[in-house]
Order: sequence, then structure tokens, then C-alpha cells
Amino acid sequence: MDVGIKVLVVDDFSTMRKIIKNNLKGMGFNNIVEAENGQKALEELKKESVGLIISDWNMPVMNGIELLKAVRGDVEFKSIPFIMITAEGQKDNVMAAAKAGVTNSVVKPFTPDTFSEKLQKVLG
Amino acid sequence: MEKIGNHLQAISLEVVTLADQDIAAMGKILNYFEEIEEAFGSIDNPVFSDLIKALMGYLERIIMAETEDMTPLEEGIECLQKIFRSLKNEEDVNDDVSGLLEALRYEKSDAVKEEDIRTEDLPEAETNALIEIRAEDREIMGDFVLESLDNLSAIEISLIDLEQDPSDVETINAIFRPFHTIKGVSSFLNLEKINKLAHSSENLLDHARNRAIQIDAGIIDIILESVDMLKKMIQNVHGALESGSVIEDNITTVDLTQRIEALNTRASGTEEKTLGAILVESGSVSPEDIKVSLERQKEEPGKKIGEILVEQKKIDSKTVISGLREQKKFKHGQIELQVKVDTKKLDNLVDLTGELVINQAMLKQNNTIVLANDQKLYHTMNQLTQITSSLQKTAMAMRMVPIKATFQKMVRLVRDLAKKSGKEVALEMSGEDTEIDRNVVEELYEPMVHMIRNAIDHGIESIEDRENVGKKKSSTINLRAYQRGSNIIIEIEDDGRGLNKDRILEKAKSKNLITDNMKLTNSEIYNMIFHAGFSTVKSVTDVSGRGVGMDVVKKAIEKLRGRVEIDSRPGHGSKFLISLPLTLAIIEGMLVRVGHDKYIIPTLAIRESFRPEKDQYSTIKQKGEMILSRGRLIPLIRLDQIFSVKGDAEKPWEGLVVTVENDGEKRCLLLDELLGKEEVVIKSIGQYMKSVKGIAGGAILGDGRVGLILDISGIFEIANGSAVKRVEVEEGIIQ
Repeated sequence: MDVGIKVLVVDDFSTMRKIIKNNLKGMGFNNIVEAENGQKALEELKKESVGLIISDWNMPVMNGIELLKAVRGDVEFKSIPFIMITAEGQKDNVMAAAKAGVTNSVVKPFTPDTFSEKLQKVLG
Repeated sequence: MEKIGNHLQAISLEVVTLADQDIAAMGKILNYFEEIEEAFGSIDNPVFSDLIKALMGYLERIIMAETEDMTPLEEGIECLQKIFRSLKNEEDVNDDVSGLLEALRYEKSDAVKEEDIRTEDLPEAETNALIEIRAEDREIMGDFVLESLDNLSAIEISLIDLEQDPSDVETINAIFRPFHTIKGVSSFLNLEKINKLAHSSENLLDHARNRAIQIDAGIIDIILESVDMLKKMIQNVHGALESGSVIEDNITTVDLTQRIEALNTRASGTEEKTLGAILVESGSVSPEDIKVSLERQKEEPGKKIGEILVEQKKIDSKTVISGLREQKKFKHGQIELQVKVDTKKLDNLVDLTGELVINQAMLKQNNTIVLANDQKLYHTMNQLTQITSSLQKTAMAMRMVPIKATFQKMVRLVRDLAKKSGKEVALEMSGEDTEIDRNVVEELYEPMVHMIRNAIDHGIESIEDRENVGKKKSSTINLRAYQRGSNIIIEIEDDGRGLNKDRILEKAKSKNLITDNMKLTNSEIYNMIFHAGFSTVKSVTDVSGRGVGMDVVKKAIEKLRGRVEIDSRPGHGSKFLISLPLTLAIIEGMLVRVGHDKYIIPTLAIRESFRPEKDQYSTIKQKGEMILSRGRLIPLIRLDQIFSVKGDAEKPWEGLVVTVENDGEKRCLLLDELLGKEEVVIKSIGQYMKSVKGIAGGAILGDGRVGLILDISGIFEIANGSAVKRVEVEEGIIQ
């Protein structure tokens, strides 16, 4: 797993971003950018060369599934691994994300172990 | 066919290279399956379709990490290809896939709509725990506190917006999100109570978003309550962080969480349904029929599913209509755009339209116009008539409001009264959307409260009594509203013990209201409870207080030109039937002539009309003229004398009499001619005539002349003169 890649963390709640960031840092990732919604994430994508997107589902302005669809529909970004964070019991959301081409899903709340396990699977 | 083949090929390729947890690939396979499902309308083979559904269900399980075993998936796809080849070569498919389906854990009917059943956590007994903050959580906890408090304050502002526009999904979303995030983060930080409360509130808002719950003041209050409590708990966390001590968790959330969950459970049952689902549920059509029709709908987009079903002769149109009606019930929150208007302006508009109608009628009957013999003028006149009449109707409709608000006030009342009297009472309502003049609605509240009080306090038995006679423990009060002709009917029905006929008779005799030899119908006996000072219950209770007789109810309703009747079955309950005019601005009346003048008698007051025979007429000393009708002597009132005009009929058998009733008293009115039934617009006849007794108002008649609307109780008073006073004194003695 290449911990040198740039990771984009998308969540409207800064505490949540921090939790994800701390988890990432714990695994050795240090190159992290943040965005507070899908729209801002797309702007970040254009600025930086991102190697992994971790996004929440529920956000104002542009939510996670809309971001995923935009990313998958863009020639430049479509192969970036995308991890969607969904809330408990939202099976429909997980399925919709799968159909839209998500790389993997993480269900909230997660432990650092499950989180790093998923990342291992996604990044190999 | 070819497309399906290609997709199957692609799927098997994906499956071969499928690695554990490769969700992207599995998503792709799901998409292929969906496309195959869409295309296979042309194949229509049950084995094939069952297998596809089973495979999709299994894939979902793999994605949800419920299973890791890929073998059933691989075998299933192999089998699918085999079946497809047979189909393509037009061979019979007789593969036994039951073993395979079992391995894929496919249950025929459920697989499609298999939904995760959210297990509602039962509220556990709460303890006032002290939670230690882990060192590594400190920083995040601090952020969480600040951000959550910010967000919660933002909710309060959004809630005000929501109160003004409860249908705005964006506002609901804005309120939903902070709860959602607080729920998410608090679970990371092991703040269990905060998590649970935020979770319940989030679910509640989710239901609101899906329109399974209608946002009202109650919901907004409960959300506010939840915000306050979350704030308090988060401030506790804050305090603990600052002092470096443990979090003091001494707030009880169980009560609030339970109340929110109760709303949630209620909402889960009322999600919006499709017409198809409703029809299948009622057994009108089979799920297959719906599927076939949906396929057809794809071919002809825009065509309604009901239309297709009828076309294919699966059901008749009546069933579709009742299904649609059912569906409508589920559609909450469809709020139409509204503006607030001063009621004075509305009343003014109604008055002005009344004037317009009159002037239009006069114009139409103006001789110049009648004799003009001008086709164009005639046409324009007709147009004017039509527009005026619809303008009038619209103006009237603007003053109409649904009776819902009044009904809903009763919910609280019933709950409180039931609690106080220790009875179990459920309130069921129907026809809440029935519209009624807002002036009527306001006056209706008190009498309704009175009747419901009576029903709960006297009508409904105690729980023990109910059980003793083998009735359900909980009783029901039914509140119904509907329109019948130009009247609104409101029914209040309970399933209590019913009225006690003997007790009413006994009471009536003791009050000299009836004599021993009077023969009374059941309805006449029951309706006696509306007499002033009539109360068969001796005890004073907390609920009904001193029996303020039902006469108050009757008076209030008669003031609205309505009528109240009662029906009762001993042991089964009583039913009050209130009949009210649709609007106070229009009155239905009998147009009568006395000499040269025309009067209108409100239809509600009329009991019968006839031409009396000579021997029906008699004069009784000190009581005056009487008409014998149906075995009773009824005092005669000569309208011409009341209004000091000259009538044609000097002797009663030369004219007509109309029997009218007011407050249980009957009188015969002598007049010359019945001209017919008419709906007239009531016009106030001006300040200077306000005090004229016996006249309720004026109405402009078709010929442009003014007709006077009779005020029956006023006429009784004039005719009775001193007699009325005597009765009042007597009643005073009784009371």
C-alpha cells in the first residue's frame, strides 16, 4: 500500500474529517486534502493529483453519490479509487454506490481496524 | 436476445477475475443483470428470471460483506448461461435449479423486496454513568463539541423556516444533516446517549423528508426539545473537557427518545404507496398483472398504469378509482400556495358580490332589456349571469376552511378527558377535509367540546362496566364530517351505554314537560335532553362539571341555523348528528306570500305545510287561535298581523298554514301562498332596521324586490307576548 499518495477527504462535518484524517495518519498517510462537499471536492481534484477519494454520502450542495457519478463520468478522474462512507442500515445507498462504480464502502461507525482493512483492499 | 447473450458473456468474464471485495466489479455485474432483466421481457421464462433475481440478491450480500463464498455465484452464472443457450435454440428448459436457488438463499417472493428490517433498539434502563474521556479522543472531542453546538444553533433557525413552510425539503435536509453527523461522530466517541437521541431524531426527520410524517407544530416542538437536550449533553462533555474530569452523564433521554420512536413507528406504516402495491394488497390484481402492465408502460410512456390495467381488462375502472383514492390518503404534505387575507376583506368581498348578484338580477329583469329583442345583448346578459354566479361561489368558497383544525383540537381533549376519567377512549375521525364557513367553524368548537365531554363522562362506561357487559376495554368516539346537499353534517358517535329512555321520561314528567298519556317516539324522547335544565345525571364530576344541559349545545347550533339530533341504542352508544348550512351567507328558504309581500321561511324550521280544514281550527280561551294537527293543538300565528300588512286569507281554511318549530315549540303560520323553495343570499337590511323583531335579514328576489327572511324565534316572541315571559318565570322556578 502506497502511503505516499494524496488522499481527498470529503465531509461537511470537520470533526468527521478529522476522525478520518487521524485514522489515515495512523496508517502512515500524510498527504491529505479536505473538502466540505462534492462541489469543493471536484475543485480540489482539478488542483491536486489525488490518488484516493474518501467521501461521506450525506452532504449539502453536492452529496457523495453525485460526486461519485461526476468522478466516474470524467475521463481524467474516473480511475481514482473511491471509498464511500455511509450510515448504518443504508443498504440501498451501498447498492446505489456499487452500481455507480464505487471502489468500496465503509459503514459508520467504523473502527480503525476495519478502516485500514478496507484501505488495504482498495489500494492493495 | 443478442444483447442478453453479450451481457452474460461479460458477466462470466467479470466473475472469473472477481477478487474478494472488488465492489466496483460487482457493481458492474449488478448493472449488467439489471439490463438483462429489462431486456428479458422477450424471454419470459420463470426459471431464468428467478435465477437472475437470486444472483442479484446474492451479489448484494457479498457487497454487504454478509458472505464471502463465491462458489454459488459462479455456479449460478454457469447455469444461467446454459439455460440461455437452451432458450436461444428454442429447446425446453427443464433444469432443476432449486438446489442452486437454495445455495443462493433465494426466497421466491421476498427476494425482490427484501428490505433490511431496522431493529428498533428497545430503550434500556438508563444509568447515570460517568464517562471517562480517553486521552487520544480529547482533541476530537473538543472539535465535536464546538461544531455540534454551532450546528444545533443553526437548526433552531432552520426550524423557524420550517414552521413557515413545512413542505420545503431543502430546509428539512438542512435540519436532518446535523443530527446525522452528530449521530455519526458520537458513535466514534462512545457518547451513547447523544448517539441514540440524534439517531431517533434523524429517523423522524427522514420520515418527514419522505412525507410519511407531516410536519406540524408538535413535530417541531419535539425536534426543538431534542436540540435542547443534545445541547445540554454536549455542554456536559464540554465541561468535562475543560475541567479535565469525567463526563457527568445525568440527563434522562429515555422519555424523549421513546416519544420520538412512537412517532417513527407510526410513520413507518404510512409510507407513500404505488397504485400497483395498493391494488395487489387489496387482491384486485396479481403481481404478475402489474408487472406486465409496467412493461407496457415502458412502451407507451406517459400512459397511466391504471389505464393500462383497465385496457387489458384486468380490473374495472371503479377498482382503479378506489385504489387511487386510497393512494391519495398517503400523500401528505401537499400544501398549496396560500396567502393570508384579512377576514374583514373577505366578508366585504362576499357582501359586494351579493350586491353584484342583486344588481345583475335587476338588470336582467329591466324592461328595456327584456323588450330589447337584441340577440347580442341577450348573449352578453347570459354571460354576465354565469360569471356573476361563479364569482359568488368563489367568494363563498374563500371563506370556507377545512374542519380539520377543529377536529384536531378534539384529539387532545379526548386524551385528557379519558385520562382524567380513567377510561380508555380512542378517537377516530373521517372527513376532516370537509369545508365549512369559517364563521361557523369558530362557533362550532364549544358545542363539540360539550358533546364530547358528555360522551366520555356519561356515555362511555368505566373499563370494569365495559368488561362486565362483554365489550372491548377501550371505547371509540367517531367524529365524522361530510356534505349532504347544501348542509354539512357532523356526527359524534360513541360506543358507550346509550341513553336511558326511562330515566329521561321520568325526568320529563317531574319537570312537567310531558304527561302520562302522551305517546312519544324514541327520537322525541331522546331529543328531550336538549331541553333547558335537563340533566339526568345527578353527580358532579371533574370532567363534565355540573350538568350544563345539552340545551346550550342546541342553542349554539341553532344560532348557526343548524339542527342537532340524537339517536341512541341502549348498550350500543349514542350518535349526535349536527346539520349545518354550508355557509352563513346563503339560506335555503321557502318563499311565501302574504298579501302583496313576500317572505322567506328558513327551510330548517319548517315541519309541514297544509291547508287546514274548518274543523281543525278552534279558539281556546286565554290561549287564542289553535290549529289541530296530528292530534295536537298548535297555536296559530297570523303573519299579516305580525307585520301589520293586509293578507288575503281572513279565515285559516282560506289560506295555508306552515308548521314551524323553534326550540322544541311548534307554531302554525298563516299565510296566503307558497311560491317555492329558493336559495337566497342574506343581506343585512341596514342599521336602522336592526332591531326589528321577527326579521333575520333581507334577500333580493329574482324580480328585484326585497323579501324578508323570517326570524322564527323572534316571531314566536312577538306572538307570545306576555306568555313568553310567563314560561321564563316558570323555568326559573324549576331551576
